[in-house]
Amino acid sequence: MDIALLQAYGYFIMTAGLAIGLYAYIYHLYSKRKDADGVDYEKYSNMALKDDIADAPVNATSRDKKYRKGIKK
Amino acid sequence: MFHWLEKHPFFFALSVFVVIAYAGLIEIVPSFAQASRPLVGTTPYSTLELAGRQVYIKNSCNACHSQLVRPFKSETDRYGHYSMSGEYAYDRPFLWGSKRTGPDLMRVGNYRTTDWHENHMKDPAAVVPGSIMPKYPWLYDNEVDLETAYAEQLTVAQFFSVPYNKEIPMKDGTTKVIKMGDSIAESNALALEEARIIVADMKDQNIKDAVASGKIPEIVAIIAYMNSLK
Amino acid sequence: MNKNGPLEYDYSVSKLFLMNTLFVGTIGMLVGVILAWQMAYPAFNTFLGEGLAEYTNFSRLRPLHTDSVIYGFVLSAVWATWYYVGQRVLKVSMAESKTLMFIGKLHFWLYFFSSALIVVSLLMGATTSKEYAEFEWPIDLAITVIWLLWGASIAGLIGFRREKSLYISIWYYIATFLAVAMLHLFNNMEIPTMLATSPAGETMIGAWWHSVSMYAGTNDALVQWWFGHNAVAFVLTTPIIAMIYYFLPKESGQAIYSYKLSLLAFWGLMFLYIWAGGHHMLYSTVPDWMQTMSSVFSVVLILPSWGSAINMLLTMKGEWQQVASSPLIKFMVLGSTFYMFSTLEGPIQAIKSVNAIAHFTDWVIGHVHDGALGWVGFMVIAAIYHMAPRIFRREIYSKSLMNMQFWIQTLGVVLYFTSMWIAGITQGMMWRAHDEFGNLAYSFIDTVSVLHPYYTIRAVGGTLYLIGFLMFVYNIYKTTSAREVEEHELQNASPMGA
Repeated sequence: MDIALLQAYGYFIMTAGLAIGLYAYIYHLYSKRKDADGVDYEKYSNMALKDDIADAPVNATSRDKKYRKGIKK
Repeated sequence: MFHWLEKHPFFFALSVFVVIAYAGLIEIVPSFAQASRPLVGTTPYSTLELAGRQVYIKNSCNACHSQLVRPFKSETDRYGHYSMSGEYAYDRPFLWGSKRTGPDLMRVGNYRTTDWHENHMKDPAAVVPGSIMPKYPWLYDNEVDLETAYAEQLTVAQFFSVPYNKEIPMKDGTTKVIKMGDSIAESNALALEEARIIVADMKDQNIKDAVASGKIPEIVAIIAYMNSLK
Repeated sequence: MNKNGPLEYDYSVSKLFLMNTLFVGTIGMLVGVILAWQMAYPAFNTFLGEGLAEYTNFSRLRPLHTDSVIYGFVLSAVWATWYYVGQRVLKVSMAESKTLMFIGKLHFWLYFFSSALIVVSLLMGATTSKEYAEFEWPIDLAITVIWLLWGASIAGLIGFRREKSLYISIWYYIATFLAVAMLHLFNNMEIPTMLATSPAGETMIGAWWHSVSMYAGTNDALVQWWFGHNAVAFVLTTPIIAMIYYFLPKESGQAIYSYKLSLLAFWGLMFLYIWAGGHHMLYSTVPDWMQTMSSVFSVVLILPSWGSAINMLLTMKGEWQQVASSPLIKFMVLGSTFYMFSTLEGPIQAIKSVNAIAHFTDWVIGHVHDGALGWVGFMVIAAIYHMAPRIFRREIYSKSLMNMQFWIQTLGVVLYFTSMWIAGITQGMMWRAHDEFGNLAYSFIDTVSVLHPYYTIRAVGGTLYLIGFLMFVYNIYKTTSAREVEEHELQNASPMGA
C-alpha cells in the first residue's frame, strides 16, 4: 500500500472518529445533568468565582477532604 | 467517559495531544516520504555563494525580500518564471520570506549585475530614488566567515548527500561539478578564486585591494550569492 | 508561609514574571515603534549614528521586535498568570511545596537569562532566519529546558490540587504547553555544523553555534509555517483565552455565559488550528491539496474562535454598565471584540483569491497587529491590572489614568490597522496592475513610494500604543505604593484610586 493511500485512509478514519467524538461530547454535555451522579457543567464557573483557598471546591480531591478536616479541628 | 477525562489530567493531556498532533501527522509526515528532489540544472551553492547566503541570513534580508515567484502573470512579468519545488532542493533553510517590502529576489541574478549591487548596497536611495532600504556600509568592511560556510558544506554533504565534487546533469545535457575543498585552506583558496572574478567587475579600490591580499569582504560574498539566484 | 496562620496563595513567582512583562513589553514595543518610523523615514536606520548602523538598522531589529514581543512580553504574561490563576483555580498554594517554589523560581531565572542571550545573539546576527524560531541550537536547547520546567510546574500544581475538576483555563494552559513543545522540537531540528569533519581531518570548523536545518526547501517551509502559524495559535491565542476565561468572570463577578460552549470551543480550536498553517504558503510550491485544505480549515476556524469570543461578550449579559464604569472591563470587552474581528479577518485573507492580493503586503502586518495589540495586548494589560492589587495588596493607583490609557491605545490600534489595510490592498493591486498593452503598470519603487503616508500613520498609531503602555507601566509602578486594601475589597471588581 503506498503512502498516499494510507494517508487518505488515515485522514478519513480519524476525521470520522473525531466528528463522532465531537457529537457524542455535545450529547454528553447536555444530557449529563439528568443522571443520578449528574454534573451541572454550569456550576464549573464557580471554580473561577469562588477561588479563595478557603472556599469549598466544586469537586474536592481526597487531599482537600483531609485538609478541611484539619481546619475543623 | 468525557467527564472522567476532565478529572484525570494525564489522559486529558494525552487526548489533547492526539487531537493537536493529528493534523501534522496527516499533512506533513507523508510529504517527507517524497523527498525534495532537485530540478535538472539546480546545483548546490559554492563556498563563496554559501558564505554570501549566510550574510543574507545574518542581516535578515528575508525580513523584506521574498524568494518565491507565484504563478501569476504580474509576477512572472516582473520576476521571471514562477518558482518550482525542485529549485529549492539545496535551500537549508528556505528563504521564501513573508513580506515584500522590497522586490522578490528569486531570480535577481538574471537582471542585476555585480556593479549594480555594489552601488546599491552602499546607498540604495542613490540607485533607486525613493527606496526605503537601509544602507549596508559594514558589508564593505567586515570580512566574510568562510570557515562556517565550509562547515555547512561539509555538513550537508555528509548528512544529506548534497552532491559536491560530483557530476551534476544540466539542462543542455552537459554536466557541471561544484567543487568543495578537502581542507579549510583549500576551501578558502576556492572561495578566493571566485571572489577574484566578482571583484573584476567592482569599482571600490579598497575591496579590490582586500581581495588581492587574500581577504574577502562580506559584500563580495553576498554579490556572489545574488548572482547565483537565477 | 506563616506556619500557624491560615494558608495563603503565594504570588512571588507570579510577581517576577509580572515585572518582566512590563520590562520586556516596553523594550519590544519600543523596538516596534522604531521599526515603524524607519519604514516611514529611512534616516531612522542610523538613529544611533553611522557607527552602530549594523545594530540599529531595520533588518537586524525586526526579529528582535517579533521575538521580544511574542516570547518576552506575551510569554512572561502567560507565566505571570499561570502562577496566579493556576494556584487559585486548583486551590493549592505554591507555599505548600518547596519543590514547586524552586521549580518556579528556576523557571523564571533561566528564562530571564536566556532572554538576555537571545537579545545579544539576534543583534549579532546569529539567526536561523526562520520567523519566530530564529534562535540557534544552544538557545533552542535552553528553551526546551525552560519549557519542561513550566511543564513540571503544571504537573506539580495539578498533582497537589484540592479541586478535582480542571477549570477551562487550565485546559488552555495544558494545550499551550503541549502544542508549543511539539512545534518547537520539530521545527528546530537542526544539525550543528561543528559536527562536520573535513577530508583533511579538521573538526570544529567555523562558528560553533551555527547549524543547518534538517529539512530542505519546500519541506522546510512546510514545517516552518506549521510552526509559525501555530506559534501564533498557541502563544498568542490559547493562553490568552485561558486568561480571559478566568479574569473576565472574576473581575465582573459574572459566571461564564455558557460553560458548555467554552468546552466545545476548546476541542474545536484544538482540532482545527493546526490544519490552517498551510495558508501561509498559498500559491507556493507546496502540494495543491494542502493549500486548499488549509484554506477550508481556516474558514471553519471562525466557529470555535467566535464560540469563545461570543461566550465572553455574553458573560457581560445584564451587566453592561460595568463596561462603562470599569476601565478594566473595557480592556477585556474590547479585547474579545478585537479577537472576533481578527479571527474573521484571518480566514478572509486565507481565501485563495484574497490571498493572491494580500500575501506579501502590509495587510498581513495589519492583521497580526489588530490581534496582537487589540486582543493580546489588551488582555495582558487587563490581567495585570487585575492581579496587581491582589499581588501587592494595594489598590490600582489611578483609574483616570487607566481610562486615558485605554482611549489612547484604542486610537493607536485603529490608526494602525486601518493604515495597514489601505497600504496592503493598494500595494497588492498596484503589483498586479497592467496597462492597456499588457505591460506592468508600475515599477516596484512606485508601489513603495505610494505607501509613505500610510507608514507614517502607522508609526503614529504605534507610538500612541507605546505611550499608553508607558502610562500602564507607570500606573503599576505607583500601585506598589498606593493605598493598602482589605481582603473583602478583592472579591471581584479590583479597587482603583481616583
